[in-house]
Amino acid sequence: MIIDKNKINAFINQIISDHIVFAPVKNKDMVLFKQIKKPDEMTLDYNNSRIPPKSIYLPQTETLFRFSKNQNINLETPKKDGRTLLFGIRPCDAKSLKILDQVFTGEYKDSLYLSRRKNSILIGLTCHNPSLNCFCTSVNSSPADTDGLDVLLTDIGDKYYVELITSRGGKIVKNFPGFKPANKEDKKKKEEIVKKAKDSIKRHIKSERLASILDSIFENKYWEEIARKCLGCGICTFLCPTCHCFDMQDETAGDKGARIRVWDSCMYPEYTMQASGYNPRPYQMNRIRNRVFHKFNYLPKNNQVFGCVGCGRCITECPVNIDIIEVVNQAREVKKDE
Amino acid sequence: MVGNKELQNEIRKIMDHKDVKYVLAYKKGTYGFQTTPFFVSKREEVSQVIFSPFCLNNLTMYIKNEYAKEKIGIVVKGCDSRSLIQMINEKRIPRDRLFIIGVSCGGVIDPKKRSKRISEPLENVDVVEKDDKFVFTVNGKKQEIPKREIVFDKCIHCEYPTPLIYDFLVGDKIEPLGKEDYCDVKDFEKNSLTDKWKFWEQQFDKCIRCYACRNVCPVCYCEKCMAEQLDPQWLRRSVNISENTVWHIIRAFHLAGRCTSCGECERACPMDIPLMLLNKKVEKDIKELFDYNAGKELDSKPLLAIFKPDDPEEDIK
Repeated sequence: MIIDKNKINAFINQIISDHIVFAPVKNKDMVLFKQIKKPDEMTLDYNNSRIPPKSIYLPQTETLFRFSKNQNINLETPKKDGRTLLFGIRPCDAKSLKILDQVFTGEYKDSLYLSRRKNSILIGLTCHNPSLNCFCTSVNSSPADTDGLDVLLTDIGDKYYVELITSRGGKIVKNFPGFKPANKEDKKKKEEIVKKAKDSIKRHIKSERLASILDSIFENKYWEEIARKCLGCGICTFLCPTCHCFDMQDETAGDKGARIRVWDSCMYPEYTMQASGYNPRPYQMNRIRNRVFHKFNYLPKNNQVFGCVGCGRCITECPVNIDIIEVVNQAREVKKDE
Repeated sequence: MVGNKELQNEIRKIMDHKDVKYVLAYKKGTYGFQTTPFFVSKREEVSQVIFSPFCLNNLTMYIKNEYAKEKIGIVVKGCDSRSLIQMINEKRIPRDRLFIIGVSCGGVIDPKKRSKRISEPLENVDVVEKDDKFVFTVNGKKQEIPKREIVFDKCIHCEYPTPLIYDFLVGDKIEPLGKEDYCDVKDFEKNSLTDKWKFWEQQFDKCIRCYACRNVCPVCYCEKCMAEQLDPQWLRRSVNISENTVWHIIRAFHLAGRCTSCGECERACPMDIPLMLLNKKVEKDIKELFDYNAGKELDSKPLLAIFKPDDPEEDIK
């Protein structure tokens, strides 16, 4: 299928009428996913949003329930969101949601996350101009990966090439009259654009046997070297589309309060701090090693996926140039401690 | 411009003759224009040391939690040297534990301004200073950009391009690049209270409380930050305008009379919050009220440790 670019706004208007629509919105020098009420609020001329759209399904702060006390104790659970639609999500970010799904459907089913995901449609946008630090092709993905998406659009000039991935994606497209069948020329153009995008990716992780290589250097001075310049801030984890750790707190005022959960970061000293005061990851070296292992050893072993989609945010935003590509590639060269 | 050879020679010399544990310097980063902090502890590593207008990091933050007994060598720009003075004055680190290699700096390049002019390639980049311009070479192509258009705002107003303390200076002494006139703060002060509040609400709303602003700051070194205390909990973990505002106001207040305007908090902020506008406002007020500026004079007392009989506050008399 294809849709002319000048019909996109009409399509967005239609989906806004029965969905809560999130789309990339320009905020000075960065782009963030925000709810839009009109199509002209969004921008599709962007590389990647500063904060990944995981924040729509796993908000940084979320109320699990509220409590208050009059004569009795009252509990109140938050209302569930309506049907949402993400327009213009990048394939890497869509793939990250599939990785999160595995986490939140494990032993414990996270009803808040899952209800949001169940009622959400993802219309992706092929990444035709990957950023310098993108490396999705190294982690079983590509700029036009359809994994996790319902529909994928590819900008082929004055129109978008449209791929229907799921039946609910098909339904939403069928309901709008502006979509037309694609011809061979359109398909060829799309393939050229995807190839050009893939070829423009310059940075790569060598991922063969990575999990076992990491196992062999768990105890190694290498991690101390990397950790030495780490600030211990939460940028890399908070901006990571696959990082999902959270902390829970009861926040009260007077006789009212709420149990909330907030994003947590394994870069923080109190992340694994136990009530006794003992911390199994006492140094930054333990923490940074955990970040790398979680993505390239634990998740590959336990869930058969990399915990990284190659979006490059952690590299671009790190104030001290800790670069996951280098960290992983150099890990292969590390000599065993004597 | 500082010669890398001269800098490397000096580092070799102190590694040979002084009892230094390591030297904090810069080396080329992993891609494009990046440089990265470099802990030099072996003589054979010294040849990787560089200094260029891409050396943004204030390396003094790495010694805020350094309790080693041995001496440490450190490369500082003018602005970074003020952080050192402040840390020494606060007795965070004794002066004689440091071997300070000062580098004269004609301004460092703001990545945000640079990205609007030149896109960053993976490799093959170079920059040299030519009078009041930088000459970029990217994949063999040359491009000249006037310094003032591409350096950090702090560099445009820099009064101390030559470090204020050092044991050895690399490069010639440089005249001040500009004057701190607080023009941004003065412009902002003209806004109505409502508009000012609206502006900061929009800024603090963006905050993701990653605490990069705190962790990168050389003088933010409390062993237990109030942001992490649970009993009493000064600051809730909820990330919203209210708690974020509390965080940023407390952060600015804890740095009152201590911030030396190195700008690292603003540079590190992943959400583009203009933290220096807040820091500069506090700095300007302190300058006007108490005629005090942090990190300028070695062995001067910290602001909050000084009492003056002519203090302008009524309640002090």
